[in-house]
Formats: sequence, structure tokens, C-alpha cells
Amino acid sequence: MKRWIGAWSLVIAMIVGWIACTSSGSDPVRVSPPQPDDVIDQELMIALAQAKNFHHKAKVYMSDGKPLDAIASVRQILSLRFPANAPEADDVRLDARALLAKYLLAQNQVDEAMRTVEEGLAQTSRQSFFVANLHTVKGEIHEARADQAVRDGEKPRADAERHAAIDAYDRSIQINKVLQERLMMERQ
Amino acid sequence: MATDDDILTGPVPGPDDEPSAAERAHARTFADLIDKTLAGRTPPAMSTDDRALIEVATVIRAASGGMELPASRQRSIVEDALRQAVGGVTSSGSLATTPITSARRRRWAPWAVAGASTLVAAAAVLAMWLRAPKPPAPADGERTPTAWRSRPSDPLVGEITRAHVDEASARIDVIFADRLEGFRQVRLHRRGGRP
Repeated sequence: MKRWIGAWSLVIAMIVGWIACTSSGSDPVRVSPPQPDDVIDQELMIALAQAKNFHHKAKVYMSDGKPLDAIASVRQILSLRFPANAPEADDVRLDARALLAKYLLAQNQVDEAMRTVEEGLAQTSRQSFFVANLHTVKGEIHEARADQAVRDGEKPRADAERHAAIDAYDRSIQINKVLQERLMMERQ
Repeated sequence: MATDDDILTGPVPGPDDEPSAAERAHARTFADLIDKTLAGRTPPAMSTDDRALIEVATVIRAASGGMELPASRQRSIVEDALRQAVGGVTSSGSLATTPITSARRRRWAPWAVAGASTLVAAAAVLAMWLRAPKPPAPADGERTPTAWRSRPSDPLVGEITRAHVDEASARIDVIFADRLEGFRQVRLHRRGGRP
């Protein structure tokens, strides 16, 4: 009997010691709350930081007269891994596509610029200012094509490109208007 | 005539040597002593060497397990133990019997130690539980602050005009700074509000 009581006391002492060690006041208890998918996490911050750095690199390359290096840097943003369903991923990629298309257009790579924009618009899951911006860039590309058609003496094609440019700008304006109204409503 | 001293202090005989008459006589005398001792008739006086040898013989016999207490002695011991267990007075009154008060103390002491340690443990667990920081509010979709959530950047950057199409670098700076602030708040909250 005495041995059982001694063992019981020892077990109690061990439990108290264990609790004291795991509940030390100097080390805050880290309770992990349920983590829904939409809470900002480290993966999102890493992806955003990388996108930020690639943008800065591209800016430096452009100011250094190296547009091809700038284009390569912006392209890398498109291959960054973001958390699944993060809205920031769409925004960052669409903005990168708009900038990339502008750089390509400046390099007279009109078709590549249009392909970049079309791919971005095809992947959109919601309307945003970034989608509107991409439509604006698309309008600029159509304008560039129209100018090229004029230089080539192809007036009908130039007219068609101008109409396409107007459509793209109208689409951009329409999206911006809807979003602005929605934001106004939310702020009220 | 050979004496005990001659046997004990004399030269050791060889293993094959014939026992001498003195040795035989001494062995017979010692065997008689052993028989008397086992019969409870130990002689009151004997030589020191014989007493030492008898004690050794008694120990050897007890160790072999062949020795039993008389029935009366066995009954007496058992009855004493039972009386002591129920708090009664022992009949023998020998010094080996534990006094009742100290026996009670011996019974209560382990339980008191176990009970006290259990109470201390319960108090410690209660104190730890009360002192533990409250877990943060569940970050479900409805209760999570907007700044903590991954969300569209439209309210942050606003409309992008044609003049600002190529200012993506400035926009990503704004988005990153805003999300970093939210990320820090989430981390801070998970640490119980302590930096």
C-alpha cells in the first residue's frame, strides 16, 4: 500500500512539473486559432515581396536603358506562386501583364504585347481596376496597330483597329465606373 | 588428554587421516549439545567455542527453513498483529510491537502526503489554467478584421488612369506595405497581444 501511495505522489509531482514546464510565463503560449484561407499569411507576403523586388529591378533596368532585361524581370512576376484564391495574386499578375505589354509595345513587339493582354483578360475571375487597366493597355495596342495600318496604307484595317481601341477604352471606363460606384456605396 | 584448545589450535589433520580418539569424543560431546539445544534444553554453561559453534549451527538450521515456531508462539504473534490492526492492546508487550499511536501515525502519514500532493497539484493546474492567456478570437470569415484578410487591392490603389499605367512598381509598394501591416497584426494577435 505504501508503495502505491508513493508512486501516486511521484506521478502527481511529475504531472505538476510537466504542466509548469509547458506553461512557463516567459514563453507565451502560442494558441493557433482556426486559420481560414483568407487570412494574410507568410506565403502571401513572400510572393508580394518577390513581386515588389522584380518590379524594382525592372524599373532600374529601364532607367539603365536595358528594356529586354526589364521585360525578363516583369515576366518573372507572372510565374510567382501565390496562395490559392488570393485576390492579390490576380491583381499583381494583371498589373504585371499591363506593364509587360507596355514594355513590349515600346519594343515594337505588338503581337506579343496583345497576346500578353489577351491571356490576362482570359484568366480574370472578377472585375477590378487592374482588369480595367489591362483593357486600357489593350486599347493602346489597338491604336498602335491602327497607326501601323495607316503607315502600311491599309485604311480599313486602321479603322477596325481604331474601333477596337475605342471598344477597349469603353470597356475600361465601364468597369472603372461600376467599381467606383460600388466603392462609394461601401464607404457610405 | 586432548582439549578444545588442542583441536582448535593444533595442526590441521589431512583429509584422509583417521580421526583421533580425542576428535571423536569432542564430536560426540558437541552432537549432544546440539540435540539438547534443538530440544530446548540448552545447558546454562558451556565453553565459548562451543557456544559460538552452536550459534552457527542454529543459524544454518534456520536458514535451511526447517525451523518452525511452536504453535502457541505462532498464535500469540498472529493475535498481537490482529489486535494492533484494529487498534487494540497487544498481549505480549514486547519491545518489537509498535505502539498504537505511532502505528496510527504510520497509517495516516502516507495518505496525508498523497492527499497534500494531490491538493497542491490541483491548485497548480487551476492556477496555470487561470493564468493562461485567453486564446484569440477565432478568425472566421465574419469576425476577422478586414485588414487581416487577403482581399482585392482595388480600394487601396483606386482607378488606374492611362498616365499611371506603368507605375506598377509604386502600386505593389502600396499593396505590400498594407498587407505587411495586416500580417503583423495577425502575428501579434496570435502571440496574445505581446510583441
